[in-house]
Amino acid sequence: MGTVQLFPQFVSETLGLSGVLGDVVGSLVAAAVVGNIVLAFTGVAGPWAKRKITAAFTDRIAVNRVGPFGLLIIPASAVQLLAKELIVPEGVDRPTWDLAPIVLPASALLGFAVIPMGRLGPVNLQIADPEVGLALVFAFASIASVSLVMAGYASNNKYSMLGGLRAVAQNLAYEIPLIVTAMSVVIFAGTLQTSGIAAAQADVLFSVGGFDVPTWYAFVNPFAFVLFLTANMAEIGRNPFDIPEAPTEIVAGYQTEYSSAYFVLFYLGEFVHIFLGGAILALTFLGGAAGPGPESIGFLWFVVKIWGFFLFTQWARSALPRVRIDQLIEIGWKGMLVLSFANLVLTAVIVGVIA
Amino acid sequence: MSLEAPDTPETDDVPERTPDELEALLGDLVVDRDDHLNAPGFVIRPDTVQETLSRLKSAAGYDHLSLVTAQEYENRYESIYHLKKFDDPTQEVSVVVPADKDRPVSESGEAVFRTADWHEREAYDLIGIEYDDHPDLRRILLPETWQGHPLSMDYDRDRPQIATLPAHANPLEEHHLDAESDTMFLNIGPHHPATHGVLHLKTILDGEQVIDVEPDIGYLHRCEEQMAQSGTYRHQIMPYPDRWDWGGGGLLNEWAYARAAEDLADIEVPEYAQVIRTMGAEMCRIAAHMLALATFALDVNGDFTATFMYAINDRERVQNLLEDLTGQRLMFNYFRLGGVVWDLPEPREEFFSKTRDFLDQLPGSVEEYHDLVTANEIFQMRTIDTGILPPEVAKEYGATGPVVRGSGVDYDLRRDDPYGYYDELDWDVVTEDGCDNYSRLLVRMREVEESAKIIEQCVDLLEDWPEDERTIQANVPRTLRPDDDTEIYRAVEAAKGELGIYIRADGTDKPARFKIRSPCFSNLQTLPEMANGEYIPDVIAALGSLDIVLGEVDR
Repeated sequence: MGTVQLFPQFVSETLGLSGVLGDVVGSLVAAAVVGNIVLAFTGVAGPWAKRKITAAFTDRIAVNRVGPFGLLIIPASAVQLLAKELIVPEGVDRPTWDLAPIVLPASALLGFAVIPMGRLGPVNLQIADPEVGLALVFAFASIASVSLVMAGYASNNKYSMLGGLRAVAQNLAYEIPLIVTAMSVVIFAGTLQTSGIAAAQADVLFSVGGFDVPTWYAFVNPFAFVLFLTANMAEIGRNPFDIPEAPTEIVAGYQTEYSSAYFVLFYLGEFVHIFLGGAILALTFLGGAAGPGPESIGFLWFVVKIWGFFLFTQWARSALPRVRIDQLIEIGWKGMLVLSFANLVLTAVIVGVIA
Repeated sequence: MSLEAPDTPETDDVPERTPDELEALLGDLVVDRDDHLNAPGFVIRPDTVQETLSRLKSAAGYDHLSLVTAQEYENRYESIYHLKKFDDPTQEVSVVVPADKDRPVSESGEAVFRTADWHEREAYDLIGIEYDDHPDLRRILLPETWQGHPLSMDYDRDRPQIATLPAHANPLEEHHLDAESDTMFLNIGPHHPATHGVLHLKTILDGEQVIDVEPDIGYLHRCEEQMAQSGTYRHQIMPYPDRWDWGGGGLLNEWAYARAAEDLADIEVPEYAQVIRTMGAEMCRIAAHMLALATFALDVNGDFTATFMYAINDRERVQNLLEDLTGQRLMFNYFRLGGVVWDLPEPREEFFSKTRDFLDQLPGSVEEYHDLVTANEIFQMRTIDTGILPPEVAKEYGATGPVVRGSGVDYDLRRDDPYGYYDELDWDVVTEDGCDNYSRLLVRMREVEESAKIIEQCVDLLEDWPEDERTIQANVPRTLRPDDDTEIYRAVEAAKGELGIYIRADGTDKPARFKIRSPCFSNLQTLPEMANGEYIPDVIAALGSLDIVLGEVDR
């Protein structure tokens, strides 16, 4: 599938570089651009969009004084958060305590390296397209739980400890169904390569009144889609599965002792993680960057999809109660795991019979 | 759940004993009589408390220890156990236990009524009576290092007290309940998102499961009883009740003082004022229950839940009505002894139509809460069968209000010990049999609807009230001096339960003893019963479902 030119190659060709130098410069520039796009999303999402969305759900107005639509709250919040004192509690386990807030956003950002975010004009916004792309994404995303344990364990705080332990329990219980469900997609697509998975969803499933419904796996296998969506919410720790933080129960979980820049990094990491969850969902079930119009605006459709997922997480946050930790584990191991394996076996059988 | 028609008193099924019969029942235990305005009082020896209480409880059916009052006289200390019946709270009896002036020791009633635990600790803390056989006689409101007992006579108020931070155990150090176990000690609070104020829960965890929780209160103690004792009956006490349950219950609190003081000074409140009081009080109940729903949603859903803002919005509407009525939004100070301070706001039609608008939209709101909260499967999964409080345990702890009604005990002073205009109106007492967090929430939500019914009937009455009969206050002397050595204990149904006031008059214009029976104080005592063995989130939910206001717990 190497027919599509990747972003780093585009950069090095445009700059007229070749060989090792071209690879290095191309990769660095591409990574910087993609990373900044994602960080820009979180920058808009955290201080502004989240407030606006939650306010809309709760009959409030939220930020509207600073700049048009309150948009200047973004720099204002950034300055405010970074200007706060970084409090390092006595007895924290350094450098683990300092590394945890870096590992979280880094792991989520790494995941974007293999996500095909679609074309924007001549540029194909995908940094790398290895054969094991999907497995890599999940591997990167899983590093996040290591960060949460690091934070929880190193903070020398019992609430942090509880939050860290909850994070591990939760991620164990939900990552297996998540990946097993993703495997059913892999069986359909016949490849782990992310661009291949997106390309496999380009056919027409059926037509309704001249409107072609594509073979997005959300349409092909809605059951798997719901399973994946649920497991994804648990994986990124949003309501009703925001157990590792669970304010009102364990204060702020693993991030209780973090302030200032470290807190910002955690916050950032969580939002990047939401967007990564949205990106994986878009890639595996919603046709990647596909959408009406020319292929060259695919990136915009991709953005719409991951923001749609972000909106969904905020909706759930406003509307749904939080499950209890033991119920969460029970749903994960006794419900989701069984269902996801059933889905996998059924998919394998159906694909085997048809193909 | 049924409305007892006023003409069929509950006393049908609970035989009332005359004071003389009770005295005969107690026999030798009674050394003297000391009747209070509300109940016969029997003076007993300080070493026969348990025997007396258990005889009254098992043989005469006095199963509700509403309050323990302690006070110091010139020549003795005294503890009073105010007993009632859950089936008929108008049947009351007071057990008066004098204790020696030099060495005030009195037997503890804790073995008979669990609720005596905290009440006696408070008596020890503030007055200085020591209770024999008490399982855990420590200070409860003041710091452990406090010197002296502030409500005792020889207390030196000028002496500076330094509340040092005692060398508390390092909250991070290891904790083992016994040699084998591997438990963790966790401080929930005093500053925690879900403690609804400054409450400290000393929690022992085994993993995520709670094996012991001990509420540590007193952070908000503001000497309310002392302040009331330094104010005159007529005007200076009424502002204080607003500062007990500040969750919206202002007028309900004021009514507790008004009822006790009016009965003490024998003041008749005009009917018109009673209707206004009833209406205002039920508005307060809606405000308080809306806050309870809002914060419970915070505890169970998480802190971005839409339910919180929805409920606060509804509370805001009723708050606006109360503002129109009283001129204040929280600290109403609207009741006066003998009535209310002013009539309904002019133009009256506007106030009535605003109130009706509110009542018209309320069922829609309640429906929405049922859709959003109580019908939600996750919410039911979280709250049904968690925080179990069996009715017998609830009674044992003197739990009242929505807490005890959520355990299926049909107890509501508005109906069972009528005051105001309640017995003239058509409404129901709400109970639920689930005994869990869910039931307590349901009771509150259904009580909101009942309150709306009451308000509607009051508005109808007030609208047609002839203009020349609108007396808002009885003719009360400028200075009230109730007779020396008269004592009274009266309670009303506040938002959280039975809010009672004990007053002892000494012939001056200020009470000699002013004791507050806070429903939250008794309700909070049940938390360990509900929480032990459950998970941390259930403890938080149970605490939320108790709907405590720390201003009222600590006073």
